[in-house]
Amino acid sequence: MLDQGRQADPPTVEALLNAFERGAVSRRDFFRRAGLLGLTVAGASALADAAAPARASAQTTQKRELVIAQGGDISKFDPHFSTSSNDIRVSFNIFDNLTSRHPDQKLYPALATEWKATGPTTWTFKLRQGVKWHNGDPFTSADAKFSLERTFDPAAKTMVATVFTTIDRIEAPDPYTLVIQTKKSDPLLPDRLAFYGGQIVPKKYVEAVGPDAFNDKPVGTGPIRLASWTKDDKAVLEAFGDYWGGKIDVDRILWRPIPETAPRVAALLKGEVDAITQLPSDHWDRVNQNATTRGAGALYAGLYVLGINAKVTPLNNELVRKAMALAVDREAIVKEMYGGRGVVPNGPIAQGDRFYDASLPPLRYDPKEARELVKKSGYKGEPIVIETTIGYVAQDKAMSEAIVGMWKDVGLTGAAVEVVEYSVRAEKNRNRTFKGLWWSDPTSTLRDPDGMMWRLLAPNGPQDYFRDPEWDELGNAARFSLDEKFRGEAYRKMTKIMLDKAFGWVIIMQPYEDYGLQKFVDFTPNPNQQFEVRRFNLKLRRA
Amino acid sequence: MRGFSGFLAYRLFRTLVALWLVSTVVFVVMRLSGDPVPLLLPPDAPISEMERVRHDLGLDRSLAVQYGVFLGNVIHGDFGRSIHFRQPAMAVARSYLEATFELGLVAFTIALVVAFPLGVISAVKRNSFLDHAAMGLALVGQSAPTFFIGILLILTLSLRLDLFPTSGRGDWRNLVLPALTLGAFTMASIARITRSAVLEVLRADFVRTARAKGVTELWVVAKHTLRNAALPILTITGLQFGTLLGGAVVTETVFAWPGIGRLAIQSIYNRDYPVVQSTVFIAAVLFIAINLVLDVLYGILDPRARA
Repeated sequence: MLDQGRQADPPTVEALLNAFERGAVSRRDFFRRAGLLGLTVAGASALADAAAPARASAQTTQKRELVIAQGGDISKFDPHFSTSSNDIRVSFNIFDNLTSRHPDQKLYPALATEWKATGPTTWTFKLRQGVKWHNGDPFTSADAKFSLERTFDPAAKTMVATVFTTIDRIEAPDPYTLVIQTKKSDPLLPDRLAFYGGQIVPKKYVEAVGPDAFNDKPVGTGPIRLASWTKDDKAVLEAFGDYWGGKIDVDRILWRPIPETAPRVAALLKGEVDAITQLPSDHWDRVNQNATTRGAGALYAGLYVLGINAKVTPLNNELVRKAMALAVDREAIVKEMYGGRGVVPNGPIAQGDRFYDASLPPLRYDPKEARELVKKSGYKGEPIVIETTIGYVAQDKAMSEAIVGMWKDVGLTGAAVEVVEYSVRAEKNRNRTFKGLWWSDPTSTLRDPDGMMWRLLAPNGPQDYFRDPEWDELGNAARFSLDEKFRGEAYRKMTKIMLDKAFGWVIIMQPYEDYGLQKFVDFTPNPNQQFEVRRFNLKLRRA
Repeated sequence: MRGFSGFLAYRLFRTLVALWLVSTVVFVVMRLSGDPVPLLLPPDAPISEMERVRHDLGLDRSLAVQYGVFLGNVIHGDFGRSIHFRQPAMAVARSYLEATFELGLVAFTIALVVAFPLGVISAVKRNSFLDHAAMGLALVGQSAPTFFIGILLILTLSLRLDLFPTSGRGDWRNLVLPALTLGAFTMASIARITRSAVLEVLRADFVRTARAKGVTELWVVAKHTLRNAALPILTITGLQFGTLLGGAVVTETVFAWPGIGRLAIQSIYNRDYPVVQSTVFIAAVLFIAINLVLDVLYGILDPRARA
């Protein structure tokens, strides 16, 4: 009797053998299916034995060193001076935060063991005892206070100064207690502490050596510490034996930048590296079909969207915007361009975020209605320009061309694509000079709509091109409310307003962020791009 | 007559002028091309944050003031601080040099060692199968993009045949594929130039005389032609050096080789002015030095060039 949930039986002996070598089929199943395919027991046995070394060697290792290849190199080790994903993958492992967001997206204790809202604007944190810095100094509340205050200290000139703007004052009444006073009620403070900016740095050491030396020789409480770094070549990080969460499963981790995709995937397939980040969807099958490797993905904590400059004609026309949203065949994009490695969103709240409403249907594709809206709108062929980068968001240029084609199909004849360099995009973003639309991949930093929808589209926010007074009022009330029901209702209404008026974003998709791994690496990717190497998430299978 | 020391002094003066011009052009162009600050901050940073960081980096002062500060520092050997790395810019640039030299020298040596004999043999055995094959390969080497050659070598010699590592810097095995890729164009050029030069010389009168005297073919070629063919090859060497520096960017990116070409292009994308300044300065110094050496060699090899 066939199990409904199992893979269909492979049709040939060769396919079955491949599946067996890969570990997709157990030894017992192999014999059963081999029999169904007409092999004798002796024949199947001989094949299984021949496949055994590849299978066994693919699945286990004796390695004490892990090599990880990412698409760009580290630039700085000081966690308060960079938010680039190439840097935070490493800094989240050199340093700990007070709270930690694990791959299951829940908040767990890290340097703080407990936390509670002890007043309408007060949060009290109990800190972990017995934690050592890499240089042997003990971790206390003085470090936590110093570190958080450093982020918004004008003299420190950090790049994360806006992360903790809700904090009014920090007190450290004893070495293992931290009391944070916020300006208004802040239900999301523990979430804020889990992301970039919240990495805790050592007061004594930083004050003694200064920020430059700290950046060259960082000291954290995390499971790995810096041994050496050759730029654009490799960074060697050693396991910290006294880590409070237990020494990690390897003695050393090497981070290597391999910017080109083909060599990066090749390095994985050959076994030169054990894990790679940024595995594009067109290499997914290859990595999975290879005997020794597999792909692993997490649904990105964020969305791929086209930002809308609603101040330019014809994007200031609500009917045109609605038509643009209805004309995009998102399913086709996910299926054809991403090989299914993504989902169609149902609104501006990413799947996995608080208050994500699973009952809402996926965003609609209706070219007929779009055409009617275009006619009703009085659109006269004005240019609708997507200023796209190449490779900033995966397949951005290709998606732009597809989407422009879809818009033209419904009568938006002025739709066009222009390519801009990434730094030009950054400048246009700063100066609000986009001609029409541009790619954005907002990260849901707090796994909460406040950290994505509100963070970007709020008044005076980085994507402030359109205002709706009711939306603003709801957003402001929701961020300071401790009432979950009220917040949920507010974000539900805000979603509806955003979709009805089609402002802010043309929401395209929520992608999987895929990684390539050797089969002996037990690792779960984290939707927020942190490469978690601590014991609870990374282990090597040993024989 | 000026003499050798006069010659050097004059060249030194020209060098300093060239370096100053190059630095100024880079300075102006970089600052006109865009702003590094939006690249340093998270994408949602408010405008006030960007203004603050611009001020902290001294980028809100007038161009003239910034230039004055820059010149003053450069005279002391201080090329400023890398915006991307937050470390001294020239030190950052210099740390990449060793890898570039290693790759460039090996690439050029392989190119020379392979292409020169190939060119000579092709000329001597003109229109033979070997000649046609070699020139065909040379055509491919000159027209195929570096990127294409590199990825092809990785897929065939590394992935399929498992002869070499796929990328990165390590022992001698890591050098082979990037050196072949980087040197492909140079190899092709040298092969073709050598062939032409040798062919031309082979037609010359003194060679016919030597042949008539009964001197063996190989000896004729070796003694009488190589010295004359060396001049065009030297010229190409100087030109190829520039190409090697430029082609190095692509090769270094494909093979994740930590060289200065990659640093230069990344710094331009990052608008990391001090590092761009430093890498261009280094490249200019190297280029000028190589050409100086070549000019001296010309003088030695060809008395006609000493005028």
